[in-house]
Amino acid sequence: MIIIKSENLSKIYSLQKQRTFKEFLPALFSGQPTKHAFHALSHLNFEVNREESLGILGRNGSGKSTLLKIIAGVTKPSDGRITVNGQVAPLIELGAGFHPELTGRENVYLNGSILGIKKKEMDRLYKSIVNFAELHAFMDQPVKHYSSGMYMRLAFSVAVAEKPEILLVDEILAVGDTKFQEKCLNRIKEFQIQGSTLVLVTHSPGQIEQYCQKVLILDKSKQIFFGDAKEGVEKYQTILSSPL
Amino acid sequence: MDKAKKLILNLKLFFSYRELLLNLARREITQRYKQSILGYFWVILNPLFQLLVLSFVFSTIFRVSSFSVPYIVFLMVGLLPWNFFSSSLSSASNALVGNSSLITKIYFPREILVYGTILAKIVDFLYSCLVLIPFFLYFHIILNWQVLWVIPIFIIQLIFTAALSLLISSFNLFYRDIQYLLNLIISLWFYLTPVLYPVEQFPEKYRFIFSLNPMSVIINAYRQTVLGGGPPNLNSLGIAALTSIIFFLVAYLIFKKSEGQFADYV
Repeated sequence: MIIIKSENLSKIYSLQKQRTFKEFLPALFSGQPTKHAFHALSHLNFEVNREESLGILGRNGSGKSTLLKIIAGVTKPSDGRITVNGQVAPLIELGAGFHPELTGRENVYLNGSILGIKKKEMDRLYKSIVNFAELHAFMDQPVKHYSSGMYMRLAFSVAVAEKPEILLVDEILAVGDTKFQEKCLNRIKEFQIQGSTLVLVTHSPGQIEQYCQKVLILDKSKQIFFGDAKEGVEKYQTILSSPL
Repeated sequence: MDKAKKLILNLKLFFSYRELLLNLARREITQRYKQSILGYFWVILNPLFQLLVLSFVFSTIFRVSSFSVPYIVFLMVGLLPWNFFSSSLSSASNALVGNSSLITKIYFPREILVYGTILAKIVDFLYSCLVLIPFFLYFHIILNWQVLWVIPIFIIQLIFTAALSLLISSFNLFYRDIQYLLNLIISLWFYLTPVLYPVEQFPEKYRFIFSLNPMSVIINAYRQTVLGGGPPNLNSLGIAALTSIIFFLVAYLIFKKSEGQFADYV
């Protein structure tokens, strides 16, 4: 059963060439191009089965994060098609929906509803979220008084409160101390065992081998490899050692 | 056929996120007056001071006539709904841009952000209407059952406000000029709507402007039912209702069409 399928997927951003109005107006009237196309992804083809996990490797600016955004449904492909058969939980930019003036408890409920979790379910999950974050004493304080570590811990705990069908992770996060990080990784592993699909963006081939069965290598917005993790990681090492 | 299916799918999706709508509105309300002593009471104090200042200027200095009711009462019945309208628009202009971190990271129907701010403004509006009570008692304004007309009038106003808000929020995401332009337009619009003065004082040959302006139909209707004790002008209210609904549908479709690009431009 296929959970994510990408067919000839491309993403083109059109960027405004002239930065200011003063530059833009003359360009508009003299017929110079006012936009230029930027290919963030071109012609990706891959598929991931249920209970498999996908790692995405590539240098900075190769389009990894754009691909995650497309899978998350945040932005649409310019061409081609992506099929995602399952509910997606993004573990990207934790705490994006947090409001500094609201208390930890209020933020947990707010963030839950952003992720599409119903209030009733949230009532049930709340205890385990607080337990996981280990922030019992701080839940009724505004999160602006949290340390950045506490903030991330709470955000992560909400994001992984429920087993998602697809979990998107942009770099294994540096959340809190090593002990908490280990807890996060264990939670992700647990999800995988229970059948969640992990989509992991990283620079580290080691993590790919540890978590993923499939790997996609991107370079300058193009797909240069899709296949077994082991083979892919070896290929990536040779690419890395070759000059740009 | 395909379009209809998509619309139903969109509505279903929206419905499944209804709790987010409530939570966003709650967030907007609770965060605004945190760390202020009077807190939410400002929602009543603000229009109260505004009313006192404006009524002093326009009844004592400019001597605008307001027929049988005291000017301040005449003014507040128009000003409170107007405030709801203008504050909804200005907060809607920031509804998408101000939540860019959510828009670029997590998927949910984006119109919820716009509706959330409007919902918060509805709550503000209802509270601000408490200002009416002492004045109505003091001036012995007697209401009859015609006052129930304010409910359909308010719904029409809401539809019109939502339509404009959808457009403004998405346009502002592409071109930030909109938010600056909006301030200008709102203040111009305020003077071209009979809030401070009765329609009858406007030169007759220019009065056609009011029939093109749904807000003026709405403000007049509020006054006719609350202060006049009679039914509103059903003809013009009906036209306002129809244009608001059509306008909303168009705005909704435009919003939904551009929604896919929000994350790329914000």
